[in-house]
Amino acid sequence: MNEPITNLWSIPLLIVIPILTAILVNLLYNKANAIKTIAISSSITLLAIALISPFGFQWFTGQPGVIPGGGYTFSADIFAWRLSLEYYYGSLQQILIVIMSLLLAFVVFISTRVLKKNFGTYIGLLFLLYTSAAIIIMVNDFYHLWIGVEFGSLLVAGVVAASGESISQKAALKYTFFSALSGAGMAISLALILGLTGYSNISDAIRFMSNNQLGGMSGVLYVAFGFLILSWIYAGGLAPTHPLKSDVYGAAYPHATILLQTQSKLMLVAMGLIILRLFSGLPFAKEVMLAISVITMMLGVVMALLQTDFRWTLAYLIISHSGLVTVGISLGTVAGIIGGLFQAVNDIIYMSILLLCCEAVLYFGSGTSIRSISGIAKSSPWLTGAVIVGALAASGIPPLNGFQSELILIQAALGQGLPEIAVIILMVSVTTFIALFKSIYSIFLRPADQTIIVGKPSADATTTGLSPVPKVLFLALAVLIGIAIILGVYPNLALNFLNETAMKVVYVPWVP
Amino acid sequence: MIEITLQLLSFIAAAILVIVGLTGMLFLDNLIKKIISFTLLSDGVNLALVSLGYVEGGIASILTPGSSVVDFPYNAILIFGPGIVLTNIVIGVSTTAILVALTIVLYKRYGTLKASKVLKGERK
Amino acid sequence: MIDAFMIVAYVMVIAVAIGAIAALLQKDLLRAAFLSGAESVALAFIFQALLAPDLGLTQAIVGTVLLPAIIIIGIFKTRRHEEE
Repeated sequence: MNEPITNLWSIPLLIVIPILTAILVNLLYNKANAIKTIAISSSITLLAIALISPFGFQWFTGQPGVIPGGGYTFSADIFAWRLSLEYYYGSLQQILIVIMSLLLAFVVFISTRVLKKNFGTYIGLLFLLYTSAAIIIMVNDFYHLWIGVEFGSLLVAGVVAASGESISQKAALKYTFFSALSGAGMAISLALILGLTGYSNISDAIRFMSNNQLGGMSGVLYVAFGFLILSWIYAGGLAPTHPLKSDVYGAAYPHATILLQTQSKLMLVAMGLIILRLFSGLPFAKEVMLAISVITMMLGVVMALLQTDFRWTLAYLIISHSGLVTVGISLGTVAGIIGGLFQAVNDIIYMSILLLCCEAVLYFGSGTSIRSISGIAKSSPWLTGAVIVGALAASGIPPLNGFQSELILIQAALGQGLPEIAVIILMVSVTTFIALFKSIYSIFLRPADQTIIVGKPSADATTTGLSPVPKVLFLALAVLIGIAIILGVYPNLALNFLNETAMKVVYVPWVP
Repeated sequence: MIEITLQLLSFIAAAILVIVGLTGMLFLDNLIKKIISFTLLSDGVNLALVSLGYVEGGIASILTPGSSVVDFPYNAILIFGPGIVLTNIVIGVSTTAILVALTIVLYKRYGTLKASKVLKGERK
Repeated sequence: MIDAFMIVAYVMVIAVAIGAIAALLQKDLLRAAFLSGAESVALAFIFQALLAPDLGLTQAIVGTVLLPAIIIIGIFKTRRHEEE
């Protein structure tokens, strides 16, 4: 071939640095200044690595699955030897990991300001959560895919339980019990695919399936597909298991929910693309995924309308908007996949804006229920401005980023001859607007109610208490709103990153 | 008449473990019993994965000084199953530890191990 | 033709099944934890027979010592007998 194939230097760093940081801050346990220094410097290092890294592969056995130039190292003689554990860092991975690193830096900074004690372990958990999401989005073999999903769901339970309320411990227990079922299903599914194809590398398996006409023929593939869909649903919080995930989002600290929702968006995107690449030959595969996504969108947004607490409204809206991401992916066309990936990027950004505002509301010390707190607009107008921008972006109002991706999704649905889905996407964005403005009006804009004493400790206030909103939260809000406006005005900045991935998934699915 | 091989036997054992574990996780009310059922379920999945890769009359896929490197790939059992199982055992231990820790915390709060009482939905 | 190897395999499979079911039928949670450990011993023998000796060793250590120990810590911190 034309050039020597070498491992990329940045991929091991992106995984090893957060793990080492987690171990280190866990050992330091309660030395606040040391933990702050280490955690913040390592999250900024991760951001820098993700920004400057070139694209490339990492092979653990020194043998590439698919050579970047277009060749392929298929050989019957070495197949029993080849594990081909493989990571790939490309344009999709870069944009998602950069955004996640930025959020990690902000979340770590905020949590060092907010938590009073014992935050070494907690920050360690946040770093490991980052690792699991990074593994999932870069992975190109079944082994690491499985490890990433399992390890990620344990960490979700850990982060949720750290918030210390009874409801969050219950949510963590339920989530962990279900992780046993989904992990078992996923292991069986991967073993079945391995038994059919003999390869643990995803590119190899897809190549084998297309060469040997397995697609649509074998009943075993349907079983594998079903189990893989089950773990996808569980990891991303889609329709039948969405109560588990919405409890998780609602019961964690809002700043931790930023990383939790980022992790599940990354899982949805990565596993969705893998399922699409593996099983797009199966009849009904895309239809099943589409049906799950549509049900998730509608259920999530209806549940969000019924909530009276800002945290829980956001929790169900996150569920509903994950449905928007997967609708795009499961349409299976280039436009659909671009729309889904862009929606994932935008979703992470505007939901983070809203969650940061929710975190700031908690510091006023009266919880986030629309009955217990009101009239924040008077005391902090900037926060009100930020939450309104976030809500407008979430409901797809033109100059902001949500509009661009929903436009692409609607066009993709119409292009596939599915106007019903376009209508449902419009309905979801309108209902998102109503659900958010119900909370925002009551909490921020409604004049302060005399019967409610601001500052009265509620049930939530035992963990957070009355404390001033840290400056870094406003900095984070400013940066994220800046990104939201820039992506809304110049969507091509992100679309250039996503275009190539979508083309590869549709036309050459065996290339990661 | 199907010949009963070791692989078939271990599939049967795996099926029994999975069914027993699943039944226990879904229908038993005690949290500790649910955790024990979870360990049984993951044991069953491990056994299924290992027996998928079994080769009749093969060798363990561990290179020893005396073994022939050329024949090794054709005789050894498929390594992916054992590889994933080794991780699954470790992940099973950590999951169990998290479940037990959460159970202890919730027991201190509610004073009971009944899942129907502890996990009852409570929402403001 | 049934050889000694297969007889041992039959015994171990039956031990796994009985251990699993008996563990879940106990009212005494401590006894249930020990029975799940006994099931793990039989499982370790089956792993050995399936040509995965590394897994057999791991399962023997983890399944009979570590897992029951964790569960027993949980039982001592909560309660020993199942409520009616």
